[in-house]
Amino acid sequence: MPIIEIENLSHTYMKGTPLEHRALKGTSMVVNEGECIAIIGHTGSGKSTLIQHFNGLIRPDSGKVMIDGVDLSKKRIDIKGLRRKVGLVFQNPEDQIFEKLIGDDIAYGPFKLGLPLKEVRERVKWAMDMVGLDFEKMKDRQTFALSGGQKRKVALAGILALKPKILVLDEPTAGLDPKSRNELLDKIKFLNKTENLTVIFVSHNMEEVAYLADRVYVMANGTDVLSGTPEDIFTDKERLQLYQIGTPETVQALYRLKDHGYKVDTSAFTISEAAGEIIKVLANGGGENRG
Amino acid sequence: MASEFELSRNITIGQHVPTGSFIHRLDPRIKLLVFTILVIAIALNTSYVGNALGLLLSIYLFWASKIPVSYGLSGIKPAIPFIIILAVLQLIFQGNVFSGGTVFFEYGVILITSESIRLVIVSAVRFVEIILLSSVLTLSTSTTELTHAIQSLLSPLKKIKFPVHELSLIITIAIRFVPTFAIEMEKMMKAQASRGADFGSGEWWRIIQRTKDMLPIIIPLFNIALSRAEDLILAMESRCYTPGNDRSAYSVYRAIGRDYVVLIIGLLFSALLLFYHFPY
Repeated sequence: MPIIEIENLSHTYMKGTPLEHRALKGTSMVVNEGECIAIIGHTGSGKSTLIQHFNGLIRPDSGKVMIDGVDLSKKRIDIKGLRRKVGLVFQNPEDQIFEKLIGDDIAYGPFKLGLPLKEVRERVKWAMDMVGLDFEKMKDRQTFALSGGQKRKVALAGILALKPKILVLDEPTAGLDPKSRNELLDKIKFLNKTENLTVIFVSHNMEEVAYLADRVYVMANGTDVLSGTPEDIFTDKERLQLYQIGTPETVQALYRLKDHGYKVDTSAFTISEAAGEIIKVLANGGGENRG
Repeated sequence: MASEFELSRNITIGQHVPTGSFIHRLDPRIKLLVFTILVIAIALNTSYVGNALGLLLSIYLFWASKIPVSYGLSGIKPAIPFIIILAVLQLIFQGNVFSGGTVFFEYGVILITSESIRLVIVSAVRFVEIILLSSVLTLSTSTTELTHAIQSLLSPLKKIKFPVHELSLIITIAIRFVPTFAIEMEKMMKAQASRGADFGSGEWWRIIQRTKDMLPIIIPLFNIALSRAEDLILAMESRCYTPGNDRSAYSVYRAIGRDYVVLIIGLLFSALLLFYHFPY
């Protein structure tokens, strides 16, 4: 069932000023409940503008935006209810931490919802569990003394504590060290698969896209130019080059093997599948298999 | 509905809109000099006609620099409450200071005369003129040009050991970061709104509550400002910046004919505002 439907959406920044800038030109997108969607594309392709429509931070200039049955082009809508349903995690979300203690910062959202103290406490505990922070040990720690990866977890927990149905993340792993990155990706996957959150994320990292996404939307110049499963996208070599999108290193390695005349299946883009393909080549004695 | 978070929209100071017009190509030193003199002349002129002329000139300058006047006017929007409050205070309490002319109304300390009404109208118009003029200056001049201009205009002060370079650097950095922080603030408001924060929806008299509502924006913004400052220091130091050193500039400005023409016209106009006795 579609939870997000976007049709022919356009948006112009600073309308009526000399700095006017058309960021979106007729984008369409459909997201089904429980899916994990990746949005990829170059800087300035309109990704960030698009995702800010999901929780009504930007209202549609023209076109249709339906989020879980709410039509955003209508003037009077329950905007707070919408923001509760759609959790939006900005780039570098650790900037938004403002309370002294971790627990207090995560509790900010639930308190704003007017929930009773007991419920707030439970939500904070749940959210901290979700991102892998020990509630008892961490809730009274100072926020400013945390590492970058931990701060990001706190910021993510601050959004999760709102118990959103849809989680939207703008480059969730940018600037993280490899260990924190992998941890965070696993948490997102867990939220999507086990907690059944609909996840939409923007990423420049194709390994991440291959690892997480059920479907991929490619944006260029303010419109969606390509969509499909990671398999469809990463094997469409011509169009990838046209829109200058990278491919996961696994796909690159397989293509290079193929160019050298080895028989490999280039659509195997996950790490384990690609490893399997390479092992096959090796098991066949490598060179003998050249066609 | 314009976006409720589009803050940078109304900030015209510190933005640079390159249109390549005549005004843009003027020598920045001349531009800054003429601007300064004009602002002084406008600030001292108290006549209706003089200020009407000043207003016409500032609108003409927008036209000449090919920047829509409406964009300049949008920079006035945030200042409107101040202009109104100022006007009301002046109207009520300044009658005794500017007591000439016909008396229209008198009650206790409140004295409204034709002179105090003139003061109210003229100061409001003056405010608009000065905002428009400074907008033209900053919209048509890049920050680098502006720094050079400030530095070279203040350079005579070096003789009395005034830190000219440091001052112009401070001014440049301050102007340069106005739009940057507007964008950061916009982002922060959006991020906190996504967590359920709401701004400006409480009743206006609940000042403490409304201030508290702003804390989730102000505290992170301070953090960002400090870390930006640190980044800037590192960037400057890694380029071997040393305060107090003599440094040469990449671009050298040389005033040509049209610059002098503009200078002379600007001086004449200012002299007119300053010394001619307008009848109204």
